[in-house]
Amino acid sequence: MPFRRPRFVHGKILRNTGSGIFYRMEVAIPEPLSFVPGQFAMVSGWPGNDPLLPRPLAIFRSGGTRGKGTVEFVYKVVGRGTALLSGLHGGDPLALTLPLGHGFEFPGEDRSWWLVGGGVGFSTVFPAAAALDAQRSDFEIFLGARTRDQLPPGDWIPGGAIPGRVHLCTDDGTAGFFGSVTAALRERLDRWKPSGKGRLAILACGPREMLKTVAEAALPLDVRVQVSLESHMACGFGVCWGCVTEVREGGKAVYRRVCKEGPVFDAREVVW
Amino acid sequence: MTSPVTPDLTVRVGTVLLKNPVISASGTFGYGLEFTPFYDISRLGAVIVKGLSLLPTPGNAPGRIVETPAGMLNAIGLQNIGVDRFVTEVAPRLADAGAVCAANIYGRTVEEYEAVARRLSEVPMLAAIELNASCPNVKEGGIAFGSTPEGLSGLTRRVRAATGKPLWVKLSPNVSDIGAIARAAEEAGADAVTLINTIVGMAVDPRTRRPKLSNVTGGLSGPAVKPVALRMVWEACKAVKIPVIGIGGIQSAEDALEFLLVGAAAVQVGTANFRNPNACVEIIDGIRDFLVREKISRLDEYRGTLLL
Ligand SMILES: Cc1cc2nc3c(=O)[nH]c(=O)nc-3n(C[C@H](O)[C@H](O)[C@H](O)COP(=O)(O)OP(=O)(O)OC[C@H]3O[C@@H](n4cnc5c(N)ncnc54)[C@H](O)[C@@H]3O)c2cc1C
Ligand SMILES: Cc1cc2nc3c(=O)[nH]c(=O)nc-3n(C[C@H](O)[C@H](O)[C@H](O)COP(=O)(O)O)c2cc1C
Repeated sequence: MPFRRPRFVHGKILRNTGSGIFYRMEVAIPEPLSFVPGQFAMVSGWPGNDPLLPRPLAIFRSGGTRGKGTVEFVYKVVGRGTALLSGLHGGDPLALTLPLGHGFEFPGEDRSWWLVGGGVGFSTVFPAAAALDAQRSDFEIFLGARTRDQLPPGDWIPGGAIPGRVHLCTDDGTAGFFGSVTAALRERLDRWKPSGKGRLAILACGPREMLKTVAEAALPLDVRVQVSLESHMACGFGVCWGCVTEVREGGKAVYRRVCKEGPVFDAREVVW
Repeated sequence: MTSPVTPDLTVRVGTVLLKNPVISASGTFGYGLEFTPFYDISRLGAVIVKGLSLLPTPGNAPGRIVETPAGMLNAIGLQNIGVDRFVTEVAPRLADAGAVCAANIYGRTVEEYEAVARRLSEVPMLAAIELNASCPNVKEGGIAFGSTPEGLSGLTRRVRAATGKPLWVKLSPNVSDIGAIARAAEEAGADAVTLINTIVGMAVDPRTRRPKLSNVTGGLSGPAVKPVALRMVWEACKAVKIPVIGIGGIQSAEDALEFLLVGAAAVQVGTANFRNPNACVEIIDGIRDFLVREKISRLDEYRGTLLL
């Protein structure tokens, strides 16, 4: 049985290769893993105490059979931890705690699904797209980047880069829609009509400003929006209370842990 | 060749008998139950839960943690569910898990500390109460109870009178003479002292010109504080007769052994739980392996044997 409760495991890197500005890393772990799209792992691979804390990375894919699991991550180098990760090679050890957090919810009823990824945020929504693709659900993908080279490679996109279903957006117009992913989303929302396919649901991950704009555009149209938030976190499994964000619950604003009650929240509840 | 005998790891903290010297530190172990997916928490010497207050506490605004070289600063603001929910919802489940458990408490006034201690006295499964003396006293202009011998003595006496449970007083390292502080706790009736709590620190961003923590300052923990903690534990051990529980930057069995060597009765493991949720049990196993390798049959024979 693949495991779904959090475990601390020692993995071994199988592949860790750059593709444009992104790295894709595949890691062998002792058992196959079952995860909900949006869940993540706390990863540390470097020796010594600097950096001290592991880094959260969304689980991009998992596979394997009994006694031999694999898990994949996609990441972008932004600082010391991710730079150290990018220097690791096949055969190097990697410590992982996974799967963690509350992932996306997929209510049973028939819906149209729009998945929105800003920057490296696609790493969190692609697993959701892959799950929807596998069950032949109706979905569209919106991807935003500063420029063409910062979009994910086409063959990473679940179901492929099908025009009309996948909307590429660049701030400088070098690929796809000329403008932000939220501008493209607004245009698409204007054209969207509730159809026999049922209601629309949006799953989004990216910079907080982007998520806020997505929520502001879609919530008034009675679209259900789930957002995956980021935060600096120490443990990743709910014991340090370092990563909280403010959410509204029963009319009251409270601090909830991004690593435990999140990272995926109902956008109506987030206090932006 | 004779097969190695399993060494005796039991330790005594006053009247409390622990099966081994490794205790999880308050604020780094949630309410204990969060660790049950990783291992059986009854394997620990004891579990200490997040600091409890009289009423639920929302904690500080986000921007609560910053990583620093080999350490981290935190300003969580003691977010917790409050003592009532702990007693009714959490304590029974910790008892079911078979864990030896101590509750860490704090208040903004002496009266709040007393009230929390009284409420916890009704909970049979609790082995001890650990008093976090690093909190600002709102009636004394926010100066921490534990920052002067007089302040600590007054607080300890009052809480001592409020509960029959073994009382462990957790000391702030932000003082000039830790020995005098430890003695003040001992004289006021503490059954043990725990040290160190975090060291007050600060981090700022030179470009945005802003502090990195919403609270501006925070508490430093992790390997960066270990040498300071070890020195303070050693000084406290010389200053008092009651047991000293050592804590600060312990990540490995070797680190834990260093604290035991300078005289600690037991150790606590905090920040190390974040990178490795199994840290506490790996440290227990490592201590056992060390004693086997060194042919020491009882941990008690090793404790406090620093050669000077
Ligand atoms: C649940 C979750 C899932 C994530 N999934 C992925 C993923 O799949 N792929 C990926 O590339 N990244 C992901 N991230 C972000 C990733 O964790 C950070 O980029 C990483 O921790 C940075 O570490 P570092 O040591 O390289 O940078 P640091 O040296 O820690 O920081 C470098 C700079 O980046 C900023 N920074 C650091 N962490 C974050 C953050 N969490 N959000 C925004 N800015 C930050 C810092 O403020 C600093 O300016 C995820 C974050 C969370 C919370
Ligand atoms: C995130 C965090 C929260 C903490 N919360 C508490 C607390 O509620 N009460 C307390 O007495 N100490 C608290 N501490 C202090 C630790 O228990 C411990 O004294 C300190 O971190 C030093 O040990 P370490 O280096 O092993 O972490 C906290 C520490 C951290 C890192």
